[in-house]
Amino acid sequence: MFIIFGMGGAVGFLSGLFGVGGGFLLTPLLIFSGISPAVAVASTTAQVVASSSSAAITYYRRRMIDMKLAGVLVASGVVGSSIGVGIFSLLRRWGQLDLVIALCYVTFLGLVGGLMLTESIRAMINARKGRPAPLRRPGQHNWAHGLPFKMRFKRSKLYVSVIPIIAIGVGIGILGSLLGIGGGFILVPALIYLLRVPTNIVIGTSLIQMTGTMAVATVLQSTSNYTVDGVLALILMVGGVIGAQFGARVGAHVRGDQLRAMLALLVLGVGIRFFVDLVQTPADLFSLATLAGDTR
Amino acid sequence: MTRFAAWFTLCALALAATQARAEQLIVALSAEEVRITSNFTGTSITVFGAIERDAATVSRAEFYDVVVSIKGPPETVVTRRKDRLVGIWLNSESRTFVNIPSFYAVNSSRPLSEVTTPQILKRFQIGADDLVFPVSAGDGAQSAGQDDAFRQAFVRLKQQDGLYRTEAYGVKFPGTEIFQTAVQIPANVPVGRYVVTVYLFRDGAMLASDQSEIRISKMGFEQFTFDLAHNQGLIYGLICVILAVFTGWLAGLIFRRD
Repeated sequence: MFIIFGMGGAVGFLSGLFGVGGGFLLTPLLIFSGISPAVAVASTTAQVVASSSSAAITYYRRRMIDMKLAGVLVASGVVGSSIGVGIFSLLRRWGQLDLVIALCYVTFLGLVGGLMLTESIRAMINARKGRPAPLRRPGQHNWAHGLPFKMRFKRSKLYVSVIPIIAIGVGIGILGSLLGIGGGFILVPALIYLLRVPTNIVIGTSLIQMTGTMAVATVLQSTSNYTVDGVLALILMVGGVIGAQFGARVGAHVRGDQLRAMLALLVLGVGIRFFVDLVQTPADLFSLATLAGDTR
Repeated sequence: MTRFAAWFTLCALALAATQARAEQLIVALSAEEVRITSNFTGTSITVFGAIERDAATVSRAEFYDVVVSIKGPPETVVTRRKDRLVGIWLNSESRTFVNIPSFYAVNSSRPLSEVTTPQILKRFQIGADDLVFPVSAGDGAQSAGQDDAFRQAFVRLKQQDGLYRTEAYGVKFPGTEIFQTAVQIPANVPVGRYVVTVYLFRDGAMLASDQSEIRISKMGFEQFTFDLAHNQGLIYGLICVILAVFTGWLAGLIFRRD
């Protein structure tokens, strides 16, 4: 129990330090410590609700949220998480849930970690040479702006098609409920580069989306899979929010590119660990799963 | 103290009963109900018994054997085997065992093979090797034989969890006709009705058997959360979410800097 509290605290510290949700670090940690992936994913979902709602309230107070955009994202996120939880139960019945979770983590952590590492190394080299970081100035429009069903988002000063927004929402919903992650590290870049949502609004808006989607995912997991462990989730929440505060304070004293490189290495490390577990000959080839039984 | 109390009742019972035909078993359990509370770390159930003989039965050179089995509530379990596919280990073949005891403990005064014949063990399903393992339809066979790899893996994994256990010399005879054994109940036992069966053997022949029941149930907070999570998943989920939002809000309040 104290180990779990410590893990919640450590991940909270990291999430505060790097400014990330932490779900994609917490779930793997729980899995590595021997908690079944199904329970780890579902319980982390509840933890993500706590951490993202905490941050969302702060952003709401500062009025840095586009409520209309967040509404569309949450609505589609709910659809996505319903699909995700459905896939989750199906995979569990087939006995392939652990495999899919591990494969997804290897892919995502490898990809994100690799991209972050190259980006931060480039930034560090540039900083050493005394050059300013190249400011990417994306054009005002791309293919996502040419689609039909346009909608106006006043707060973000956007007039875009809802199709990419819904696609993003559904995608993050599926991923989030399947892997127990908020999906912020995919959602934020997607909103910035694909939809050109202003940077000052993007974080608050995506936090709302995460809170809403993951809240629904928690309820769905609990209703259909019975995999949410309330006590585990609560320990994680408390550890997480406390850790995040200290992390944020330390993070203010470390340089951004170095932080990103550290995070990238961490992410890559977790990804490699998943990969090794997949490839390594398991200690026991057999496993048991209770399907049904009179457990009362 | 309960142990001594049970002893006394047993001795009294053994003396009082006179109208018995041949050998009979009198069995007492140290507990008929086990309550799993939040600090439950496992317990042990002691089974006491007396072998009772009527006056007509000739007193032979006594050498009784006693086997005590405790069977947990039945469950359906999938046993899966991992195979390597393009370098990755994944679950491929599986076998579903239906109505298999979730907990199974056998204590005997001697190893089962010395107590009686394989035929009797098989007939009464005594010992993990002689339990019938019904397989769900679609998996081919009706029930898995003793040398089935999935069955062996199942028993091995259950043993690792402490849910299948045997003690070959677990039954002790403090007196010639009085026996006693303790069965460990680990913390991870499933709840439900447990059937305790005591078999009495002599020279490989079964003389008598006795069946009694133990209830293992969750209590208090454990019971409440367990029920809620399994029967009221929606409410349980909602509570988790409310708790999460509350924690988040509280944290924001406590650590607020602006």
